[in-house]
Amino acid sequence: MRQQSDGDPPAVEAVALTKTYPNGVRAVRAVDLCVAVGEIRAVVGENGAGKSTLMKLLYGLEQPSSGQLRIGGAAQTLSDPSAAIALGVGMVHQNLMLVPSFTIAQNVVLGIEPGRGLRLDTKIAIERTARLSEESGLVVDPKARVDEVSVGMRQRAEILKALYRGARLLILDEPTAVLTPQETDDLFASVRRLRAGGMTVLFISHKLKEVQEVSDRVSVMRAGSLVGTVDTDQSTAESLAAMMVGRQISLTVVKPPARPGRITLSVRNVGYQPRGAGQALHDITFNVAAGEIVGLAGVEGNGQTELTEILAGLRQPTSGTIRVDGTQTVRLDVAGYRAAGIAHVSEDRLFNGVALDESIADNLIVDRHARSPIGARGVLRPRAIRAHAERLIREYAIRAPDPSAPVGALSGGNMQKVVVARELSSGPRLLVAAQLTRGVDIGAMHFMYERLIAARDDGAAVFLVSADLAELLSLADRLLVIKDGRLVARFDDLTGVSDTEVGRFMLGVQRHTDEQIRAVPPEPESATS
Amino acid sequence: MTDTMVELADRRDFVASRRRALAVDLSMALATILAALAVGFIVILAVGHDPLEAYRAMLTGPLQRSTRVGRWLEDATTLTLLGLSVAIPFRARQISLGAEGQLYAGALAAAVVAIFVPLPPVLAVLVPLLVAAVAGGAVGAIPGVLKARLAANEIVATLMLNAIVVRLYDYLLNNQLKQPDSGSVRSANVPAGSALTRLQDWFGVPLGRANLGLLLMLLTALALWLLITRTTLGYRIRMVGSNPDFARYGGIKVPRVIESSFIIGGAVAGLAGAHLLLGVYGRLEPGMAGGLAFEGIVVALLARNNPLVVVAAGFLYSYLRVGGDIMEQQTDVGTEIVVIIQAVIVLLVTARLLPDLLKRRLARKQMAR
Repeated sequence: MRQQSDGDPPAVEAVALTKTYPNGVRAVRAVDLCVAVGEIRAVVGENGAGKSTLMKLLYGLEQPSSGQLRIGGAAQTLSDPSAAIALGVGMVHQNLMLVPSFTIAQNVVLGIEPGRGLRLDTKIAIERTARLSEESGLVVDPKARVDEVSVGMRQRAEILKALYRGARLLILDEPTAVLTPQETDDLFASVRRLRAGGMTVLFISHKLKEVQEVSDRVSVMRAGSLVGTVDTDQSTAESLAAMMVGRQISLTVVKPPARPGRITLSVRNVGYQPRGAGQALHDITFNVAAGEIVGLAGVEGNGQTELTEILAGLRQPTSGTIRVDGTQTVRLDVAGYRAAGIAHVSEDRLFNGVALDESIADNLIVDRHARSPIGARGVLRPRAIRAHAERLIREYAIRAPDPSAPVGALSGGNMQKVVVARELSSGPRLLVAAQLTRGVDIGAMHFMYERLIAARDDGAAVFLVSADLAELLSLADRLLVIKDGRLVARFDDLTGVSDTEVGRFMLGVQRHTDEQIRAVPPEPESATS
Repeated sequence: MTDTMVELADRRDFVASRRRALAVDLSMALATILAALAVGFIVILAVGHDPLEAYRAMLTGPLQRSTRVGRWLEDATTLTLLGLSVAIPFRARQISLGAEGQLYAGALAAAVVAIFVPLPPVLAVLVPLLVAAVAGGAVGAIPGVLKARLAANEIVATLMLNAIVVRLYDYLLNNQLKQPDSGSVRSANVPAGSALTRLQDWFGVPLGRANLGLLLMLLTALALWLLITRTTLGYRIRMVGSNPDFARYGGIKVPRVIESSFIIGGAVAGLAGAHLLLGVYGRLEPGMAGGLAFEGIVVALLARNNPLVVVAAGFLYSYLRVGGDIMEQQTDVGTEIVVIIQAVIVLLVTARLLPDLLKRRLARKQMAR
């Protein structure tokens, strides 16, 4: 970190910055933030803590209700992002905003194209992009079309786009959410290089490990307020988490060794051809035993969604067989899957995990509404439904005043608890869980982990899909890696396996042989010894 | 904000706020009607008539004579049945506009059975009713299956089917079913044993054509309310309507639920046809339903598809209809004013859905953040 000389104004300064939305929600409350030139500042906080809103205020996407914003020492009013760009502020959004059918060079120069009149000088565009790429260490292929390159390269292109517009303050909104470990390392190296050139970087994240790796200082937000700023080397993941949540919290997952029993899920040569968009699957073969958690790692969009939905009965595979405790499940409908004891935490709860307008009680019975004690011979038992809901609300610590409250009124983490309560309370033989903790607060996250391990120890076979490799490595007993719809790696023993090692398989740099991947699973005796 | 408002509320506060919301809902409904009446008032004033006199006729007229009360009850019976018939598909988020065709199919089938099949007492009433429900349900099943299995747009399917069924009805009424010795186009009268008993036979005051169908309607509404709130099928209908992907994920057979909602709705519309045939006209007549089929949609909307509220909305709405007729007879203000008032109500009701939708989207956005 370059030391700031006296009198050198900070790159960006917020004084009592407040944003109150028309519906009365105060997303940002009297935030004082001061970031020196050439500093990498991480901003962390739970979902809804106000991080993104604060960044939107700095980029002119939102206007503060009160307070002051100083950029380069002078008070500024940012009416829109173009005003922020003119002042040297660049932002890379969580969801990348590029034109997919354009080349990277075209995207980088979009809006301020070199050339005369309406003609775009492609050669100069490519040259300039290449030069910027070289200077910053952000490797891209200027001539490649955006829709043909990896997410990592798209993100680098997005950063180059900001640099091309003369950004001296770069805001990165959860940049690593879509990256593999290697791509993350590369990104951090570039960020450090940019800092050496005098760039100031605001880095939003909820992954504390990454924050500690790359930032100079960390600002923690909670419930719209900035609760503190600390030097990164003076902090620990635990101390930051405690600041975020407001109480001490344990981050380590306590997991007794698995005691796998007999094979519960057996997937043999499953293939899938999507109709329309989607990833095809090729020749997928693996087992999950009762009492073990098998993780599935991979860069998002490599077939995880398709495989998960096939295992939950929401899609039909084109070939292959799937058995759950000996029952052939492929031709069953969803109700049949559920009757076979398969529970499913879907990857997007808002899409199909809950009915937002319906009550918590009704959301908790969708898979069992026609079974005793909830319903019998076509008639529902309101009292049983209520008792059932009260019990799950208690057991799964769902925060709600009453079972009749609509699920849509709950926060993300609490809503996920409703889903997890429903799926785990069915006493499943097989639990297919995708993105178990996506958008869930640290506190609730831990709760989910404990529940998942408890389900495993009660004898459920658990198939866990996650975009968070660290989560997989701490929860899973065994790990599979998927790439382009094929299994490319299998780790039966995760002790000593690092995320970089798994990342090499996710990217396709390395691959296990089919024999290794399809080998007969370890005997229960050898696994417990 | 990590906690939403609901999560922080305790149970007593939550229940209290629910009650408040109900009170707000009711006063909103009242305000809607008052606003509509106010608009009508201004329009009458603007066209140079006396709004006070007109409104006195409209608002007090239906209660002034027992025959008028009878007209109100009779009209409300048909209207409420039609409202109920669309409320059920609406609950499953199916925009069914097929009540008209289902009504005529029900009336037609009931007439054929009542006129041509000799039946013992009691059965002579029950069998035509049942047949009407089956016929209406069958006509409802067609767009239901098309939508559920073939993803055909249900709005188009129901509207087109209306056209077909109404033409078929007219054709049969003009040919095979036409009373030969009659100058006008109408069928033979249904036998007295099949008619729904007139209420005036019981109460001894003239109540026009109001009949036992009223009771039938109330029972139907209660049954549908129980169906929606207390049965597994009702639960499925609600879940499919709220989030079909969630229903499918939970193991509910969504196509079957969609079909069921259409069939139930069709059956109720068929009953409305039977009510017109067996209770009101006593025979088939061209254009029996008038525009009632589509007004049923308004009633369902007003009641937010809650079967019990549909009854209240139906009574209210047909009070305005009957009052409007009286106003036209007694003053020089035409029934168009009633149409305007109704239109304003519809606008306000649909506009009230907008803030709701907005609120929900905001909530979603917040969660996504």
